[in-house]
Amino acid sequence: MLALQLLFNGLATGCALGVVAVTFSLVYSTTKLFHVAHAGVYTLGGYLAWSLSIHGAPFVVAFLVAIVVCAGVGALIQALLYARLEHRHATHLVILIASLGTLAVMQNIIAAVYSPNILQFSLPWASTVVAGGGSIRLTVIQVLIVVASVAAYGGLMWFAHRTILGKQMRAVASNPFLAEITRLRPRRVHVYVMAIASAVVSVPGVLVPVDLGLQPYNGVTPLLTATIAMIAGGVGSITGAFVLAIAIAELQNLSLLIIPGEWSIGITFFIFLVFMLFRPTGLFAAAR
Amino acid sequence: MSEYLTATGLEVSFGGLRALQDCSFTVERGRITCLVGPNGAGKTTIFNVITGFLRPNAGSVSFQGTSLDGLKPQAIVAAGIARTFQNLRLFVDLTALDNVVVALPAQSGEEPLAAIFRPLHVARTQARRREEAIRILEHVGLADRAGEFVRNLSYGEQKLLTVARGLATGAELLLLDEPASGLSASALEQIMLLLRRLQSEGKTLLVVEHNTRVVQQIADEVLFLHQGHLMARGTPEQIISDPTLAEIYFGGAI
Amino acid sequence: MDFWLSYATLAAIYVLLGLSTNLLVGIAGIFSVSQAAVFGVGAYIVSYLLMNDLTTFLPAMLVAAAFCVVLNVLVTLPALRVSGDYFVVTSFGIQLLATAIFTNWTAGTGGANGLPGIPPADLFGKTLDTSSDLVMLSVAAMVLGCIAFWLIMRAPFGRLLRAIREDELAVAAAGKNVLRAKVSAAALAGAFAGSAGGLYATFLSFIDPSSFDLDASILLLTMVVVGGARTLAGSIIGPFLLLALPQVLSLIDIPTTIAAAARQLIYGVLLIAFMLFRPQGLAGEKL
Repeated sequence: MLALQLLFNGLATGCALGVVAVTFSLVYSTTKLFHVAHAGVYTLGGYLAWSLSIHGAPFVVAFLVAIVVCAGVGALIQALLYARLEHRHATHLVILIASLGTLAVMQNIIAAVYSPNILQFSLPWASTVVAGGGSIRLTVIQVLIVVASVAAYGGLMWFAHRTILGKQMRAVASNPFLAEITRLRPRRVHVYVMAIASAVVSVPGVLVPVDLGLQPYNGVTPLLTATIAMIAGGVGSITGAFVLAIAIAELQNLSLLIIPGEWSIGITFFIFLVFMLFRPTGLFAAAR
Repeated sequence: MSEYLTATGLEVSFGGLRALQDCSFTVERGRITCLVGPNGAGKTTIFNVITGFLRPNAGSVSFQGTSLDGLKPQAIVAAGIARTFQNLRLFVDLTALDNVVVALPAQSGEEPLAAIFRPLHVARTQARRREEAIRILEHVGLADRAGEFVRNLSYGEQKLLTVARGLATGAELLLLDEPASGLSASALEQIMLLLRRLQSEGKTLLVVEHNTRVVQQIADEVLFLHQGHLMARGTPEQIISDPTLAEIYFGGAI
Repeated sequence: MDFWLSYATLAAIYVLLGLSTNLLVGIAGIFSVSQAAVFGVGAYIVSYLLMNDLTTFLPAMLVAAAFCVVLNVLVTLPALRVSGDYFVVTSFGIQLLATAIFTNWTAGTGGANGLPGIPPADLFGKTLDTSSDLVMLSVAAMVLGCIAFWLIMRAPFGRLLRAIREDELAVAAAGKNVLRAKVSAAALAGAFAGSAGGLYATFLSFIDPSSFDLDASILLLTMVVVGGARTLAGSIIGPFLLLALPQVLSLIDIPTTIAAAARQLIYGVLLIAFMLFRPQGLAGEKL
């Protein structure tokens, strides 16, 4: 039952991807910036947790520290870089290039400090099999990824719809001009959004490498897939992004039955092409 | 009365906001029609619909008998309608001359291959276009500022340039969005003279304007818009002297 | 002496690439990280044609350039029709997909091990395989490219692209087809990049996927950013400077395991620094 195993794996991968998609979508719909450096924050979280874990810190502590530091890094990128550029009326192209530069800096500092080779967590509990029989295995870490990701999704939904900051964020997203003149302080909201998005993206950022290992340049492909999920799900729809991420991951995994793994990116890109040509606004585009 | 520009039953909504509600009006050829109304009445939205930048939720626009529905902005310019913007949207890093030249209709040399393989031909047509652009600048009174970068022009000169850019497209119907706002008294005179001169040359103008003095001086007809709907039409005197309209206009309806 | 000739040859090839990226990013304002992918496609096509003795050098170059033109049009047209941000995703996707193809389609591209033994260029019967031959060929190609670029920028097309970069809404309101102009810029960029690829393949006589990956695209962006957007001078200065960087770095004692990361790190820093403090680059106009 290879297919069933692939489905389980796809669920775990998809949920993790879903969190990346949702957090990216959060930043994009609020700031309108295509924050490619998000992949760098995602990668950073994993390495931070690894450093602490390898030096004996309990996993929970390592995890929490990673979340907090990533939140800070995200906020700094917004406050020191994006905000400054926007203040000077820089074009989106300029900010995109700066974001790409930030990504390059983050990935390569990590590669220089930690080596470009794959690193592994040494957490025996993670690979303990939780369920399954015969040829199907479901590990603790996979279950943890699913649970944590769904919790993150739920948390962000609650935040966006029930908290004051969340509502402010949505107000800023839907009408930045109005937000500016009604004293909603969009710039401050942007910093909070970046901090929250960066904090939450470090959840899969830490958990996925526990399962699959760390590599400095492993953030770009998930980010790309996540943006495609965001677009296919409809920009502005948190649920759309999450659901589509799972769908794409499942399709990718199931395609392994037919085509070799190194071509998975072709599947993702094909899905993107289909949406771009036939339904560019996505499935659940937020009504504005 | 021949139909020149006709809008029928236009409906435009943004989210919960109805910008245009069953909006219908006609503009007659060869006249200066002013579009007035309080802020948020939908005047710029009408411009956006006519020029193809906004698709209405319902309703249609026709120009000289042909429907403009679903046409892209380029097609509508080709049909003979051009617009200016309230916030100018000039090409700041280009000269006044270049701002006009860009707007001249299809030029060889606008495809890159012609630029590479027929450089002499392109240079010749460029020269001809520049002459045409200078003529247009003369027409609006900016010929002596042709070589200046837009950021060095005064506000009044920039406004004249927006009209020049509209003229360059060869349009016969010009939609002007607040051409007189923010101008000094002398610049105001200059632009009003220009608009009347354009009319005498056969152009039709649809002008959004807030300044009642300007409206009185140049309008042949006034369309009063309120809450996305045509509320009244008539001569400037009729509209300005109507107390109900005055109250809507000045009474704080935002 | 050979070293300088090598450097000059490579720099000339990268100037062509710089012109390509400048057209797309600097002039049309389209964010692209897939330039290296197109570079690679050109290189692999010319290699394939020459190695299998299917044509001589010039026709191979034409085929590669034409193919890359079509490739760029197919990639940019649907994406730009939707929005600029859409194109960012498309560009990343193309680059990653191309790298996957270069690395895994072993039958066509030699896979991760690359293609060795690419024959040298031949022009009018003469084989160009000495260092001086190669530098002359590359510089000649570079000069042709620069002339074409200069002609384009002076023509209405160049002016149209500048206007689009400033305010594409106003350009549409003036009756111009913005999409077609952008796609034309992308097509041209494809021709430049594809030709550069062909030259690169015959110069090095060996190519592998690592020259055409995302890091390479980032390097190309850095060249335009540092040299300066929208000017000929910027397109020339950027590549010459950035290609000298690895040599300068080799004077510092950096362990080889992280040498590549160190270079990419510097490119990233340059990108951020120039965007923050000098968006016009050294000799260009503000991005």
